[in-house]
Amino acid sequence: MTAEPRQRSSRVPVWSPGRLLSARNIVLVVALVALLVFGPGLFGAYWTRILTNCAIISIAAAGIALLYGRLGLVSLGQVSLIGVGGWITLRVGHATSLPFELVLVIAAVGTGVIGVLVGLPALRLSGLNLAIVTLMLAGAFEVIFTVTGFPNGGEGFLGRATGGVLQQPLARPALGTTDPEYFRYVVVVTIIMFVIIGLHLANRPGRAWAAMRQSEAGALAAGIGTVRYRLWALAVVSATTGVAGGLLAGNAGLLDPISFKAPASILLFATVLIGGAYSLLGAVIAGFLSQGLPPLLDALGVDGNLIFVILGLGMIQAITTAPRGIAGQLQGLARRIRGLFGKKERP
Amino acid sequence: MTGTLTVEGLTVVYGGVKPLNQVSLVFERGVCGLVGPNGAGKTTFFNVLSGFAVPAAGRVDFDGQDMLVMNAAKRARWGLRRTFQQEQVIHTLSAWDNIRLAAEHTGARRGEIGAAVTFVGLEGVDRVGSELTMLERRLVEIAKAVCGSPKLVLLDEPGAGLDAAETEKLIGLISRIPEEFGAMVVLVDHDMDLVSTVCGTTAVLDFGEVIALGPTAQVLASREVRKAYLGTADVEGAA
Amino acid sequence: MILPFVVAGLVLGSLYALGGVGMLVLYRTTGVLNFGYGALGAVSAMLSWQFVELRMQPLLAYALGIVAATALSLIFGLLAGPFLATVTILTKATATLGLALILLGLMLFAWNDKARTLRLPTDTIGFSIGTRITVTQIICLALATAIVVATSLYLRHSPTGTAMRALASDRELSSMLGVGVRRVELLAWTVSGAIGGITGILLSSQTRLEPVFLTFIVIPILAAVVVGRFRSLWGTLIGGLVIGVVQAVASAFPSTSSFSNATPFVVATIVILYLQRRKVVSIEVAR
Repeated sequence: MTAEPRQRSSRVPVWSPGRLLSARNIVLVVALVALLVFGPGLFGAYWTRILTNCAIISIAAAGIALLYGRLGLVSLGQVSLIGVGGWITLRVGHATSLPFELVLVIAAVGTGVIGVLVGLPALRLSGLNLAIVTLMLAGAFEVIFTVTGFPNGGEGFLGRATGGVLQQPLARPALGTTDPEYFRYVVVVTIIMFVIIGLHLANRPGRAWAAMRQSEAGALAAGIGTVRYRLWALAVVSATTGVAGGLLAGNAGLLDPISFKAPASILLFATVLIGGAYSLLGAVIAGFLSQGLPPLLDALGVDGNLIFVILGLGMIQAITTAPRGIAGQLQGLARRIRGLFGKKERP
Repeated sequence: MTGTLTVEGLTVVYGGVKPLNQVSLVFERGVCGLVGPNGAGKTTFFNVLSGFAVPAAGRVDFDGQDMLVMNAAKRARWGLRRTFQQEQVIHTLSAWDNIRLAAEHTGARRGEIGAAVTFVGLEGVDRVGSELTMLERRLVEIAKAVCGSPKLVLLDEPGAGLDAAETEKLIGLISRIPEEFGAMVVLVDHDMDLVSTVCGTTAVLDFGEVIALGPTAQVLASREVRKAYLGTADVEGAA
Repeated sequence: MILPFVVAGLVLGSLYALGGVGMLVLYRTTGVLNFGYGALGAVSAMLSWQFVELRMQPLLAYALGIVAATALSLIFGLLAGPFLATVTILTKATATLGLALILLGLMLFAWNDKARTLRLPTDTIGFSIGTRITVTQIICLALATAIVVATSLYLRHSPTGTAMRALASDRELSSMLGVGVRRVELLAWTVSGAIGGITGILLSSQTRLEPVFLTFIVIPILAAVVVGRFRSLWGTLIGGLVIGVVQAVASAFPSTSSFSNATPFVVATIVILYLQRRKVVSIEVAR
C-alpha cells in the first residue's frame, strides 16, 4: 500500500474566489442541495433510512481514513468509539433535557477525551503493533458493552431499565423527528464533520501529519512536535466518530451491544480500504459499502452473507492493484476525462 | 554576526563503539566544513547537534546557549536547521507547502516563504514533491533551512546526486546564507572541491576524533589529513 | 472449588497456544501474521461436522477437514506469496484479513450462522482427577505441548527447520545462500494450515461450532502469540495457558465473571505496550 494522498498547494488559499467557486465545488453544492430537498421523496421510506445510516457511518469512515491515509496508522477499533459516542448520547439525553445538538457536542467531547486517554499509551506504536492493540481494545470494549449495555431511560450510572416494558428510546431531535427530516439532519451534520476534517487536512495539522508520515525524524528536525500532532489527530477522529455514535443513537433511540463487536471494526476498515483512504469521497463510498450494499444485495435477491466475500475480495484487490480505492480510481478517471478536454492540470 | 559554535569533549558511545571520542572544536563564523573518511563520525556529530543522538559526555554551546538541554523539535524552533543525507522533501505536498511547513513551525512570518523561494530561485512551486527534480528538491531543503531566523544550519552532503553545474548553483546559495540570513552553516561533504570553495574553516574527523581544524586550504593539504584519507604515511608533496 | 475452572482454563489455553504456534511458524518464516487463521480452523470444523452429518466415519471426516484447511492455507500461500513478499508486515497481515472475510462469507453462505455442536467420540470418555476431564481435553493439553516440542526440535535440528529459521532472520540473504525460499515458505503455509485445522476442530468441540465465533477466535489466539513476543514457541504456549487459566478463574467469581472474556485482550494490550515502552526515533541513514 504505497499510494499517498496528494494535496493541493496552499499558495493560493482555499477561500480565494478562484478556488472556492470552482466548477467542481459548484456541482457539489448543487448536488447536495438536491439531495437534501428531493432525496427522501426520491428514495422512499426504506432507502431513506438506509442512506441515513450510510451517512452516519461515513463520518466514522472519514476518521479511519484520516488515521490511515494521512498518518499511516491502522485502527481496528473505531466501531468501539462509535459505541462510546452512542452511549454518552443516550445517557446524557435521558438524564437531561438538553437539546439534541448540545448532547451531540457533549458526546463529541466525551468520546474525544476517552479516545485520547485510551490511545495515549499506544501513541508510540505504529504499524502492526498498533493494529493489534486497537483490535484487542475493540475486543475489550465488546465485553464492556455486553456488560453495561446501552442506557434506555433507567436509573443509576448505567441508565439501564430492566425489562422491555420500562425501557424508553431516546427522542429524536426537534429538527429531525420524522425519518425524512432525520435524513436531512444527519446529512447536514455529516457535511459539518467532513468540513471540520477537511479544514484540518488542508491546513497546518494536515501538513504536519504529511511530514510525520514521510519521516518522523524529518518532522522533528522541522520543529514539529510529533506527539502533540498525533494526539490532535486522535482527538479529532475520536470526537467526530463520537458524533457518529450520537447520530446512531438518535436514529433508533436505542442501541444494542450486538452492533459494536470487534469484527464490525474490521469490516469498517475493509470498506475504507476499498472505498479509498485518501479522500473524503472514499469515506462516503465506504459508508455506502458498509450500510448500503448489504440491503442492496438483499433487494437483488443475493444472499446477504456474500457481503463478506465481496469485502474480502475488495480488500485484497485494494491492497494489490488499487491502493487509492474506488475513490482514487474515480478521481483518476476524472483527471483523464479533463485531460481529454484539453484542460490544464490544476495546480 | 553569525555566532560561535563551541563543542567540548563530545563523546558518544554505542555499545562497545565510540563513534565520537572527546571531540572538541570551535567554529566562529560563516560557512564551516566537516570532512573525514567514511565512518569517521560526521553524521553522528550532526545527530548529536540536532538532537537525534544523546552524547555520553561533552558540551555543545552556541553563543552561550547550551544546545543539549533542548530536544530535537525545540532546537529546530530555536533556530537549528538540519538536512539529511537522504532528501526529506515530502512527496505529497507541493514545494510551497514543504517550505511553508518549515516556516510555520519555526515562527516565521508568511512573507518569509516567498522570500526563501526567491532566494533559491525555485519555480513552479505548486508542483508536488514527487514531481521535482533532484536539484529542485535540494533547493527546497535550502529554502526550508533559511526560514524562521535560522541560527545554525547543518547541511549533510547537500550536493549528493547533483552534477557539476547544479553543484555550482548550490554552492553559490550556501555561501550567501551567512550574510543574508545571519546563520552559521556547517557543511559535511565528500566533494573536496565543494568544501574548499565554500568553507572558510574546516574540521577533519577520523575514527571519531578531530585530527585537524583550521583554514580549509591549510587543513586539506596537511599530512595528517592526507594520511587519514589515503592511509599511507609517506605522501609526495602537495597536489 | 476452582479446580474445574483451572482445568477448563488450561484446556482452552492450550488451544489458544496450539493456534498460536501455528500462526507463529508462519509468521517467523514468511512475516505473514495470518488474521485468517481462525477462519481456516472454522472451515476445518464446519467441513468435519458436515461430513459426520453425511454419515462419514468421524476420523475420516476430521482428517478431510484438516486436509481442507491445509489445502486452503497452501493455495493462499501459493497465489499470494510472491506479492506478499514485496510488502510490509502490516500489509501482509491486512491481506490476510481479506482472506478471513472471504472464507467467512463462503462459510455463512454454505451453512448459516446457527449454533451447532461437534461431538467428538472422545468427549464421552473421561476421568476424575478432583474434577471431571474428558479424553478430548487431555488430547488438547497433550497435543499442544507435543506440537510445541516437536516444532521446537524440528526448527532446531532438521534441515528445513533450519531453513525456516534462516528465512525468519533474513529472507534475501537466505535466498542468496541457496535456500529454496519458495519451497520453505510453502511448507510453512502447509504446516500452519494443518495446525490450524486441528485447532479449529478441537476449539469447536470445547467452545462453539459457529463460523463467526471461530473465525474471530483468531484474536485471543493472537494474544498468545503476543505474549510469546512473536518469537518464542514456549512463550506462546505459556501465554496461551496463562490467558486460558486467568480467563477461566475470573469467570468463577461473580465480581469478575462478566469481564472474564476480556482477559486475552487486556493481557495482549499490556504486553505489547510494555514491550514497546522505549521506542526510539529512527533516522534514515543512506549508507
